[in-house]
Amino acid sequence: MWFFRSPQVVFGDEALSYLSSLPIRRAAIITDRYLLGTELPERVRGALPEGAESLAVGDVSAEPPLSEMTAHLEKVRGFSPDWFVAAGGGSSIDTAKILFALYERPDLTVYDITPLVQLGLRTKSRLIAVPTTSGTGSECTWAAVLSEENEKRKHELASPEILPDYAILDPSLVVSLPPEQTRNTAADAVAHAVEAYGSTWHNPFSDAMAEKALELISENIEGVMRDPGGLGPRGQVHIGASMAGLSFSNSQIGLVHALGHSLGATFKLPHGKAVGLLLPYVVDFNYDACPERYDRLNLLIPPKYRGRRLSDSLRSLLGMMGVARSVRDAGVEESAYASSMDTLVTLASESTGMVTNPKDSGSEDLRNIFIKAFDGD
Amino acid sequence: MAGARTARVGPRASPFMIGVRSDAPVEMARFPSEEWTKLYAEKLNANKSYEDAGKNWEGAITFVVQKDSALDKDAFIYLDLYHGKCRDAKFSLTESDLPTPEYKYAGPYGNWRKLINKEIDPIQGLLTGKFKLQGSMMKIMRFTKAAKEMVNTTASVQTEF
Repeated sequence: MWFFRSPQVVFGDEALSYLSSLPIRRAAIITDRYLLGTELPERVRGALPEGAESLAVGDVSAEPPLSEMTAHLEKVRGFSPDWFVAAGGGSSIDTAKILFALYERPDLTVYDITPLVQLGLRTKSRLIAVPTTSGTGSECTWAAVLSEENEKRKHELASPEILPDYAILDPSLVVSLPPEQTRNTAADAVAHAVEAYGSTWHNPFSDAMAEKALELISENIEGVMRDPGGLGPRGQVHIGASMAGLSFSNSQIGLVHALGHSLGATFKLPHGKAVGLLLPYVVDFNYDACPERYDRLNLLIPPKYRGRRLSDSLRSLLGMMGVARSVRDAGVEESAYASSMDTLVTLASESTGMVTNPKDSGSEDLRNIFIKAFDGD
Repeated sequence: MAGARTARVGPRASPFMIGVRSDAPVEMARFPSEEWTKLYAEKLNANKSYEDAGKNWEGAITFVVQKDSALDKDAFIYLDLYHGKCRDAKFSLTESDLPTPEYKYAGPYGNWRKLINKEIDPIQGLLTGKFKLQGSMMKIMRFTKAAKEMVNTTASVQTEF
């Protein structure tokens, strides 16, 4: 027995306007700190039903730490929303998921947000995700990542009950995404599709999502990089990124995310940058555990990037996007990397991504991949 | 329960010995039983993947085998786990006879059979309600690989049902 879980997905031109058809009376709009000064909060407010009141929680930092949640939660509780509207990147959406759970159940702590605990949410409110990046997939997943600043750790929280009720994919919200975020988030989406497809928990539903996601992203990302304002390719990559989110949400992440969370937390690298650079190394490591599956994925990558093996193709595709080829290229200093190696390995080994990776791995395997990824091929 | 027993050829291996020699006698035990518990502890202590994944783990867990149509009484397997090793293992049909564990992993006998036969993934078993886990989720979420190795080790015990 297994499940396929998905929010209702609203996509395409003017998808944001769907908000006006929902019975929203009091909306808590959760958005990124850097988006607060843009037109986004006003666009979301403008799309709410007439007469709806709103509260903007607009100081969500990138990959927010636990300490931020308390202040956000007080604001939210004081407002008593009946809907949460997360409008932003993965950090905002993850924050909204956590606030939603803790608002619904004041007796819980963030650490109660696990798939093994019945949370009993949706007694007071519901959750909408409106992504402004194309990659984290958070709008379609039942996971949330929270940083732990003192421990340099990322907590992987998960519960089917924090899956958004709606995911609204409006391509007009991503056309102004800066090149670096476009690159990093798209690399994250590619990693989601590849990890989901190789996962030991893969299933026909997650496979279908992963295959189509990789196809949409790899066929359109060059066009997005060349013409960031082009709605067509942007829209395709946006949909592909959500499908990649659905794929891993229904089959789980693997070693790329285990290593990537560790690397990102230790050296403050953006998540997409960390997983993008590590992806080909992990695919090389995993190859003999699932050669047929990786070979099949390889055929979905456009011929101009396709190499003999999936890792070759990914290096070519990610290289075109400008993703760092090695940890050194990503700006990590060698001596700091070497002195952090034990921490990197320990943090990675404690990730849930270790459990569903297609190839079993121990600490020495993790260490070897980290070492190999420093200078690259 | 149909009664615990051990089927073996040759002398019995010492409980908690590390590693099993290739010329060691093949031991088989009925699940759940004291003999199975001891064999399991030996296998766990020989499992290098578990040792690696559980090297920072401290805490005891009890496997609760709940009665169902094929098992007429609950059974309990207590494991004291410390830094990648099993320091002590006890079996009982009475939970109060055992020390209080930090965690309990519980499921009906029929589901344990499937788990040992690798017909159920241990984590998916939890997520689909075939098994229940009691204890601090915050701690155990950092040791999912160790937990998986623990459950996988059940499959390496020659088991009679």
